[in-house]
Amino acid sequence: MVPLSWYLVVAFMLVGLGAYGMIVKKNLIRILIGAEIMGNGVNLALVAFAVYGGAFSFTAQGLIILVISVAAAHTALALVLMLMYNRRYGTVDLSIVQKEEVA
Amino acid sequence: MRLFIDFLPVIIWALFAMILVIIMLLASWVLRPHVLQNSEKTSTYECGEEPIGPARISYPYNYIIYTVLFVVVDVMGAFLWLLAASTFRLEALIVWQTIIFVLIIMGGIGFVLKVLPQASLSGQETLELYREAKAARKEATHH
Amino acid sequence: MNWKVKMMQDLQPVLDLFEQFEFFLIAALVLALAYLALEHKDIVYAVFFFGFMASAVAGFFLLLDAPYIAGMQIAVYTGGISALIIFGVLLLPRAQDSSLETFATGRVRTMGLILSGVIMAISGGLALIFPWPETIPEGVPEQSQSLQGLAEWLWQDHGVYIQIIALIILTTLVGAVALLKMEKAEAMSSITGEFGVEAKPSPEPEAETEVVDTEETSEEAAN
Repeated sequence: MVPLSWYLVVAFMLVGLGAYGMIVKKNLIRILIGAEIMGNGVNLALVAFAVYGGAFSFTAQGLIILVISVAAAHTALALVLMLMYNRRYGTVDLSIVQKEEVA
Repeated sequence: MRLFIDFLPVIIWALFAMILVIIMLLASWVLRPHVLQNSEKTSTYECGEEPIGPARISYPYNYIIYTVLFVVVDVMGAFLWLLAASTFRLEALIVWQTIIFVLIIMGGIGFVLKVLPQASLSGQETLELYREAKAARKEATHH
Repeated sequence: MNWKVKMMQDLQPVLDLFEQFEFFLIAALVLALAYLALEHKDIVYAVFFFGFMASAVAGFFLLLDAPYIAGMQIAVYTGGISALIIFGVLLLPRAQDSSLETFATGRVRTMGLILSGVIMAISGGLALIFPWPETIPEGVPEQSQSLQGLAEWLWQDHGVYIQIIALIILTTLVGAVALLKMEKAEAMSSITGEFGVEAKPSPEPEAETEVVDTEETSEEAAN
């Protein structure tokens, strides 16, 4: 068997990559992709814990199913909000808002 | 791992498919005429038509609703697939659960389809707008 | 079924090695695709790489003996969410052009690298140092990959989960259509402008329009 910590290392690397994308990127769509990558990492850690923690209980599976469904819902709403942002500012770049606040 | 043994035929088929793709690509490379790249060959192929205008134009925002509807049906289908893949006896509780689940989501979809024409542009209006702009542009280029 | 059991007993060490090899393969694939999804210049390619990454994560779930989660991952993430983001990019033509995009300056980039490196180091170090096997009760992992059991758990014993998910989805739909509700004149504004109905026929309007014009006039003459 592959040890549990390997899965955790991959999961945390995914979380770190997603955090890097969310910190550095200016484009809202790239920020959304970073958030989704973080969510994937968290899902992976959850499944790994559930499998290695004695019994792969159905509770954990139900929790992950709920997380995935909510991810679909929040992505849809985030994209609609992005369209509204585009209508307001004419772009999906975050730096415009930052400049406007400074000025 | 048990699952791995179960998926062994799939891996064999996947390897077979990969080898087949390589063989077909090589065969077509051998058989096709090797001519130089010219403008006819590298131009965009659009069902034999000359491509007009840029490929990346904007659409009305309300089109995203249709993708949201697709994702909703996708999630609903995943849950119903779980129900369909299992074989337990028909109980009143499960039947009612399924009916309520589907009715809630179908109610949401029906609400969206009812509100959407009032909320934003319909396809007919979009088409008319594009036609007007095209006619105006033609006039502008003629004069 | 018999040959499977016999084969498993014979090939157990080979299978263990193969599992590790498989793990490293999938991990390398997932991390490379996640990096590309964040750093590729063209955002359409970035979204495609995200979809591929989601399907590679489903490979992890198959490796962990959770087939339903893997199926759900592929159906929702690869099929649904990446399609949704691609459609969003399609509706935002200004987001597709990487020359219009402002990328972070070097200082912000290094700060982000340091911060995410700290996150990765702390959590990864914790994952490696913390004695997980002692906190988790001993015992052979129960093989609960049966869809039957999960379906009974979800639909029979915990039906509230299903109804909660249905309500969340309903809220999403209502919220999306309420956010998109706008005046007709305002809705038209999304398709006007340089990417909309006033789009130039081609990057070089001078040469191209003349060609189109002559073709049209010749057609009219023929008619």
